[in-house]
Amino acid sequence: MKFNQICCYYNLLFERVKSIQTFAVLAEKVTKEYGKKEVLKEVNLKISKGEFYALMGPNGSGKTTLASILASVKLPTSGKIQIFGKKPEDAKKITGYVPQENFSSPLLTGKENLMYFAGLLGYSKREAAEIVEGLLNKVGLWEDANKRVSHYSGGMRKRLEVATILFPSLKLLILDEPTTGLDPSARRKFLGLVQELRNEETTILLVTHIGADADLASRVGLMDKGAIIAEDQPERLKKSSGLENVVNIETSIKNEKVANLLSKFSEKMKVLETETGYRVFTEDVEEATPKIVRSLDQIGCKAIRIETAKPSLEDVFFKLTERKVREVD
Amino acid sequence: MGQITATWNKTIKEFLRQKTVLFWTIGWPIIWVLIGSFSFTSNVPSETLSYARGAISISMMVFALMTAGMANLPGNIAQDRERGLLTKVMSMPVSPWRDFIGRILALLAFSGLSAMLVIAVGFACGARFFFTEIDFGFALVFILLIFVGSAGIGMLIGTFVKHVHGAIMSGVGLTVVSAALSGVMTPYAYLPSVLQDFARIYPISSANSAITYLLVGEEYAGYNPLSTSQPVLTALVALLLFVLGLITYSRFCWKKE
Repeated sequence: MKFNQICCYYNLLFERVKSIQTFAVLAEKVTKEYGKKEVLKEVNLKISKGEFYALMGPNGSGKTTLASILASVKLPTSGKIQIFGKKPEDAKKITGYVPQENFSSPLLTGKENLMYFAGLLGYSKREAAEIVEGLLNKVGLWEDANKRVSHYSGGMRKRLEVATILFPSLKLLILDEPTTGLDPSARRKFLGLVQELRNEETTILLVTHIGADADLASRVGLMDKGAIIAEDQPERLKKSSGLENVVNIETSIKNEKVANLLSKFSEKMKVLETETGYRVFTEDVEEATPKIVRSLDQIGCKAIRIETAKPSLEDVFFKLTERKVREVD
Repeated sequence: MGQITATWNKTIKEFLRQKTVLFWTIGWPIIWVLIGSFSFTSNVPSETLSYARGAISISMMVFALMTAGMANLPGNIAQDRERGLLTKVMSMPVSPWRDFIGRILALLAFSGLSAMLVIAVGFACGARFFFTEIDFGFALVFILLIFVGSAGIGMLIGTFVKHVHGAIMSGVGLTVVSAALSGVMTPYAYLPSVLQDFARIYPISSANSAITYLLVGEEYAGYNPLSTSQPVLTALVALLLFVLGLITYSRFCWKKE
């Protein structure tokens, strides 16, 4: 009996140690309060080593606060956090963090900026020069290395800032809304770069409010009002939401009357208003589409463009919360 | 390459590449050396003209040191905070002390360069100084005290004024007003007695008078700033401002919420 108990105890201990070693990020019941305002409510998060995890939610959902706590920039009010089994404060040497802001110095060249960060990480001048050359090549900025950052485009600047977390010693990369403000082409280029970073040794945490960006991750956590409300692989999240088809309609008019009419065709969930029209969630697209056009016509509204699409992570979020992830779709 | 060298490199380049910083720290005092040397000295007898120009050059050198410490340093700190660099650096294994030393050394180098350029222009305009090697050594100590006091005030501004423009404007405002009220830009003898008292307590002004006294003579300093307790008071207040600034910067700028 005693032997069994000891075995059981050691087994549990072994499992615990194993779990700590496997997880790049382990957060248990993390809360953060600013005065009376609770920004994080007992958040639990486990990210495995080598995983690409996206934390998606609207502004004010607490995702940036959580990321900055993991990056050891802020302190939690309560809860336990481990980065590769260490406290965030002790894991700074292996954690790379790109905050939302454009933090690179516009007065320095791209190369000088990276040399500065190499110096902060303790590399010798020779080592730093070699690594920085490699990093500039990796992010596609070698030709512009000696230009001042003030002459860089938004996309180039963001790539330079990502290069600051590609130094060889860094194992956990935290990117906070890196694509915000980038034009579509720069955004695609940037996401291509993030995809290239994926390997068994590097763990990526991407904080975003853009569904298409989160789609690239191996796992997504949807965050709302300081809590992770759903978490799974992107496709499984979409499947489990029960949403099958979406009809995107660009309308000549946008008002309550049009929205009410379209809501009759949206069996799966509320109609989602977009910048140019509405998203209607229906089961049978082929049957519903001509009816929608006819009905709109009857109330004097023209359907300028109709296209069918698969549901996005933003739709899933909308279904769960009845709130949009971002204001402009 | 250590953290101190990295911060030094970054900060000095930022100082040297900002046109506004160059203008207000080097250009503006030089303009006043030129104006002062040729316009404000028309009534000065020719045998003392070169010393009067020397006193003007010293005042403008002090003004340059004040601008560097009280406006450029807080501007640099606020800029790093506003654009998220401080957040980024806080997420890295960086010691606040090393960051501070790197910044201060860069400021010292930039202040030194500004001071030398202003004095060089003054010299070219006919300013002359009269001193022994020991006087020069003591003058350097007082220059260092001006740097230390200004940097202390600069760190206080940089810590508490969050926005770049606010920090720079507060620094420039404080530099101009305190220089005018304390006798850096106005002859000590013309100040009302309340401001004369202030000029003796304000370490930048009393150090300015001490440098003038040592390199040009008592009549240009307005009083003897090297009398028994005055140098001790100057050094103590300058060091106090620096320590206050340092504690505030390391506690509040690097504070984790």
